[in-house]
Amino acid sequence: MNDALDVTLRLLIVFVVFLAFPLIVGQTEHKVMAHMQGRLGPMYAGGFHGWAQLVADGVKFAQKEDVVPAEADRRIFQLAPAVALLPYLLVLLAVPVGPGEGAVGQVVDAGIFFVLAVMGVGVLGSLMAGWSSANKFSLLGGLRTAAQLLAYELPMLLTAASVAMAAGTVSLVGILDAFEWWWLPWQIVGAIVFFVAGLAELQRPPFDMPVADSEIIFGAYTEYTGLRFALFLLAEYAGIVVLCGLTTVLFLGGWHGPWGADGLGWVWTLLKTAALAFVVIWLRVTYPRLREDQLQKLSWTLLVPLSLAQIALTGVVKVVIQ
Amino acid sequence: MTLATAAAHMTAAHTAAAHLAAAPTTGAPEPHGFLSPTGVEIAFLLVGLVTFGAAVVTVTTRQLVHAALWLVVALGGLAVEYLLLTAEFIAWVQVLIYVGAVVVLILFGLMLTRAPIGRSPDADSGNRWAALTVAVAAAAALVWVVADAFRTTWIDLDGPASGSTAVTGASLFQNWVLPFEALSVLLLAALVGAIVLSRRAQPDRSLTPTVSDAPRPAPSGAGPADTAGTGEKADNGPDQADSAERSEGANKANKASKDDKADKGDDR
Amino acid sequence: MPPIPGSGLAKGLAVTLRTMTRKTVTEQYPDAQPELPPRTRGVIGLFEENCTVCMLCARECPDWCIYIDSHKETVPAATPGGRDRSRNVLDRFAIDFSLCMYCGICIEVCPFDALFWSPEFEYAETDIRDLTHERDKLREWMWTVPAPPALDPGAEEPKELAAARKTADKLAAQQEAARAAEQTATAPGERPEPEDRPEPGHEPGSESAPGHEPGRAPDSGPGHARPGHAREPGSAPGREPGQEDRE
Repeated sequence: MNDALDVTLRLLIVFVVFLAFPLIVGQTEHKVMAHMQGRLGPMYAGGFHGWAQLVADGVKFAQKEDVVPAEADRRIFQLAPAVALLPYLLVLLAVPVGPGEGAVGQVVDAGIFFVLAVMGVGVLGSLMAGWSSANKFSLLGGLRTAAQLLAYELPMLLTAASVAMAAGTVSLVGILDAFEWWWLPWQIVGAIVFFVAGLAELQRPPFDMPVADSEIIFGAYTEYTGLRFALFLLAEYAGIVVLCGLTTVLFLGGWHGPWGADGLGWVWTLLKTAALAFVVIWLRVTYPRLREDQLQKLSWTLLVPLSLAQIALTGVVKVVIQ
Repeated sequence: MTLATAAAHMTAAHTAAAHLAAAPTTGAPEPHGFLSPTGVEIAFLLVGLVTFGAAVVTVTTRQLVHAALWLVVALGGLAVEYLLLTAEFIAWVQVLIYVGAVVVLILFGLMLTRAPIGRSPDADSGNRWAALTVAVAAAAALVWVVADAFRTTWIDLDGPASGSTAVTGASLFQNWVLPFEALSVLLLAALVGAIVLSRRAQPDRSLTPTVSDAPRPAPSGAGPADTAGTGEKADNGPDQADSAERSEGANKANKASKDDKADKGDDR
Repeated sequence: MPPIPGSGLAKGLAVTLRTMTRKTVTEQYPDAQPELPPRTRGVIGLFEENCTVCMLCARECPDWCIYIDSHKETVPAATPGGRDRSRNVLDRFAIDFSLCMYCGICIEVCPFDALFWSPEFEYAETDIRDLTHERDKLREWMWTVPAPPALDPGAEEPKELAAARKTADKLAAQQEAARAAEQTATAPGERPEPEDRPEPGHEPGSESAPGHEPGRAPDSGPGHARPGHAREPGSAPGREPGQEDRE
């Protein structure tokens, strides 16, 4: 009975985090982006500096009509948002926040593989949406999504493998237990490659060719309205949370901090994740969208060689220090 | 029906992987009877039924993209089976490679070439019986091999996970290192072959006289427009090179040959 | 020297980060009124006392959005035996702001300075017919017309002021001459410096000065008399360089 309570509690906490953190990131994006452009951003909703803007957006989305195009493949069209969103919920289960068993939703033995595999499934949702909308822009968006996933999954995996080599385990908790501060400079190239590839996989600007709203009208999501569209948006922001959390865990040492008092490790994890989320927003504001060929070129001619070099470096250092 | 054979191939690969996962298992304690199922065994059977059903739908559905998506269900079901057999690492790799990469590639190919919504009556080929025979034969052979190899061996689910990453890695690089390396070489050869195939047009390009240099006596391919349909494939390389050069020196290019090529481009 | 690779990317990041730390430029309009420049083309005010119904504005209007009705009245002769004068009386003056394109030609062509720009812009209506502002409404807008901006330092004086000053100076000189003649007659002594620029409004006979028609400038209108405009007495109050009157 106690076990059941424990499981329920963990699931509940993860679910709350899953719903709350993307909204926080989204709200931060509203405000940070506005100020980086010399604007104020939302100011009204909720009274104080528009803190409830995304809640209001959610209410608005919920009120909208749920339209399925006549020519669309109805079932797949309706299923796609769930396929896009649920993987991130599963990934959050496995991301450790603090030291010990109590601070992770579920310890997964092959944590890295679980996380990367399930994140890859999320892209399937975009593909389903792109195909089933019966819209040429959506199809283009789906194609670009697929091409981008194929290009960027590889460097992401390779750099994650580099960390796994360094730690000698593929478990996220194990990696954090083995973490030393000098891994930071050792794995810095891998960290950057992982982060950039993750951004591309999430289709965040400047890698947002698949949803490029000014040329293919939000790509795979062109035909979506109301709640289903909101689910796709939620998936994007949940993806940011997951990517930042993963980068924190894999490369920035998670709960380790310079003056990490016991029991406050989760603060470090959250701080690092928040800082990375800020960087995600910052990059979005700063850089223009890459062209499709530039996107592919960046992955195959820069990120993949860099990640291979990182693996070589990791191997050499690992052998030397043993 | 290519999907059917593809599915058969994949089943073969999975069975091999399952073999790998099950290899280090120890002989089970006797009390396991065939007809005294535990919860895990029931789940295993149910998931197996779902997987089998999804696989059947994959090869029988007349909607191409649906077939690919049912393949996701089948592959995901296999991953769950691995998970139930405590082979966690293999389960996630299954999801990563097959769902995350292979199916995405299939979908990419489908969407790039043709992705009709609704039924595609022309998707059937005449050799469906041959494909069925091959599939059934392959499945029978695999079932026979696996059943013969393991007989009534049971995995001890209560003990330490016998399919964990460490165990899998150890058995992979100690007992099975030769097949592993052979597979690596095979994949490397495939990779090199793909690169060679995609770069074959390169020498052609250097031989093609550049349009901007001098007016060309005859349109490229030297064929009249009506034969272009047959000669197109061969022309592909130089013609594309031409079009790239044409964009550089379009104003200097011979107008007649340009028009001719534009027509051919439309045909294609 | 070739730039360090990635320095451009870093520069871009620096720009956005710097912008984030600066003050925003957003105007929170409904909460805070915008600070509009005094010559903003918001709405057209009619100073109907100056209107002579010459119809120039209505004729020049590219949109034909000015409606003027008038009739003639006969003014009896001022002096016995004089000729009766006829005078135009304004019956209706309306501007349809749903047609107006805010070109300002009417204001430019008005020879008697009866039309003015006001920066007021909040006159949206739910019925398009309400956008036709009649004479009284146009007159109301006059209260919102800001004083004209100051002349550039060293600029030539406005013609009206120059003419007024000329008249006033002449008058003062006459008075001075008369007084001087008086004083030389009585006792030769120190005499005060002649006032350089007497205020026309306080001078007898300055009513006829062309630069000082009563209420010719909006600033002299009721409710708009700004105490802060006390300047040197020579310049007409209507030509004061008042700034915008709304914060």
